[in-house]
Amino acid sequence: MTITDISHRRKFLAQGNVYLPHIVIIEKIIDETPGVRTFHFNFKDEKLREEFSFESGQFGEYSVLGIGEAPFCISSSPTRRDHLEFALQRVGKVTNALHRLGVGAEIGFRGPYGNGVPLDLLQGKNLVFVGGGIGLAPLRSLIWNVIDNRDKYENIDIIYGARSPSDLCFKYDLDAWNKDKAVNMVTTVDKGDENWTGKVGFVPQVLEQAAPSAQNAVAIVCGPPIMIRFTFPVLEKLGFTPEQMITTLEKRMKCGIGKCGRCNIGNLYVCRDGPVFSYAQIKGFISKEY
Amino acid sequence: MASSNKKISKRDTGKLLNEWSQEFAVFVPSRETGVATMAKWDGKDTSFLDWHRNTVIPPKANFLPAMEEMFNFQRDKEGYHIELPPQDKHKQLIFGIRPCDAKALAILDMTFSDSYQDPYYLSKRKNAVLVGVGCTKAYDSCFCTSLGISPAESTDVDLMLTDIGDEFLIEAITEAGKKLISRSRGLAEANEADETRAKASKEAAYQKVTRQLDTDNIKQRLLANLENKDYWEKIAAKCLSCGVCTFLCPTCYCFDINDELVKQQGARFRSWDSCAFPVYTEMPMENPRVEKWRRVRQRVYHKYEFYPMSFDVTACTGCGRCIRLCPVNWDITQALNNLPAKV
Ligand code: SF4
Ligand code: SF4
Ligand code: FES
Repeated sequence: MTITDISHRRKFLAQGNVYLPHIVIIEKIIDETPGVRTFHFNFKDEKLREEFSFESGQFGEYSVLGIGEAPFCISSSPTRRDHLEFALQRVGKVTNALHRLGVGAEIGFRGPYGNGVPLDLLQGKNLVFVGGGIGLAPLRSLIWNVIDNRDKYENIDIIYGARSPSDLCFKYDLDAWNKDKAVNMVTTVDKGDENWTGKVGFVPQVLEQAAPSAQNAVAIVCGPPIMIRFTFPVLEKLGFTPEQMITTLEKRMKCGIGKCGRCNIGNLYVCRDGPVFSYAQIKGFISKEY
Repeated sequence: MASSNKKISKRDTGKLLNEWSQEFAVFVPSRETGVATMAKWDGKDTSFLDWHRNTVIPPKANFLPAMEEMFNFQRDKEGYHIELPPQDKHKQLIFGIRPCDAKALAILDMTFSDSYQDPYYLSKRKNAVLVGVGCTKAYDSCFCTSLGISPAESTDVDLMLTDIGDEFLIEAITEAGKKLISRSRGLAEANEADETRAKASKEAAYQKVTRQLDTDNIKQRLLANLENKDYWEKIAAKCLSCGVCTFLCPTCYCFDINDELVKQQGARFRSWDSCAFPVYTEMPMENPRVEKWRRVRQRVYHKYEFYPMSFDVTACTGCGRCIRLCPVNWDITQALNNLPAKV
């Protein structure tokens, strides 16, 4: 497995015009939920296929040329490199255009951008993953990354929820983690249906019931802003310090590299200084801008 | 006794610009399009030599144009082909840039060269020569002196010209500036009397700037008022969110990226954007700055709090445009000077 260091990442990107997309080819499409799709893709250029490296938590700018560009995290793990993945919800112009594409289509990709999850700081810790909805996309990159290096980490707790059973993303992963004896997996939905036999309840509440210990632990939280906002206080109640909480933030983005200005939280640009932040970093701003 | 500086009569300045036109694409203050901006010199008109102050459109537009093609693409049976637009190989020489606007470019340089190089901005900037001309009058809205900028002095240009009556005193600021004057014809040696006149001219210009911004503890005062919603709501009330203040601000750099497509051919463009617009931060599910006071606050904090945190420099040069060109006279100096001391 590779943990790419920051200078290496920047060196990779400094070659040529950073705004020019590389052409990538969609190799497979998976329908996750009625509105969410996963795309498997690979670089058209052989050399890039070999050279490209990234870290869990980093993102790319994907474009349907002629329609526009949008940022999504790389949802696959750097430990599984025969292809790359991203997942997206159909919500706007670019995501709609992406959803209309089929296998074999060419799209633009530039990246990886952002800082990625500081894996070195997670080693030897108990890890608590808290995810909601499509927020599992960045988390699953990290979870597979950790599982593929299982002996470097202590306990793994995963608490994942979605609005309804049909809104659960990456069901194949949920199944795999459920079966994995070395992982404690809790899945919940806000509202069940006739077939649902699992837990019902909002993620922060289910987290509070599960009550993972804060001892030697780090919590990694990804999901809709509202879930993130309610999850931090629960973690604090469980004894987690702001330094023990990590999240990825979402903002409207265009450039992805700290130039176009729009993704700021205070003096931090989510694209350049994130998207992965410790709660300690953003606590002061979270009630205001976030 | 001769000083190391040169001088040129205003009458001969056109000749000098003509000479420079052999080597550079010369841009000068111009009202040809109806709005004062830095436009390509026509080789004749020198009326701008009588202008006293900065242009409406700042020289940032010469490096970060209001709209710019980033690349174009075509699709055929092999897939997409991406190409860069042809680049103007001519170096720009900007004549008549004012100290506030030259400083603004130095501020923009930081963003565009931080972490990732911005090739569009930097390629134009790298090749450019800046010839500054000191202001001889100020607008009521100018407050550069509060930010440590003198209206007639600059270290952010290659050559600096000072009005000394019928002539300009020419000081070389950078190596590039020194080289440029050493190969320029028609320049006379400046003498001590010229230096004395230049000094008086600079001092007089300094006195013309009367508006004051209270910069004492400004970062702390802002931090203390970050959550002062009542104040920012009151301050923001009359703003129309039109974005003029940001488009015309020499240090504002925010841009949008959009694609155009006709048949199988298309291009990607970037264009000025503004934090004054709600859509600027709009996401499908939520928008962190729907409320106007948050957007107004963002503009002020970006310049006076966040930019200094990142680059150790205030992202405002006191050029006064955002005050004088705002349709409702929204006043950044008032907003800052009236910050409550105790919240
Ligand atoms: S120019 Fe004036 S009205 Fe327009 S956005 Fe700026 S402050 Fe508001
Ligand atoms: S904020 Fe206003 S005064 Fe300051 S540089 Fe921008 S336009 Fe000029
Ligand atoms: S997306 Fe442009 S600054 Fe972050």
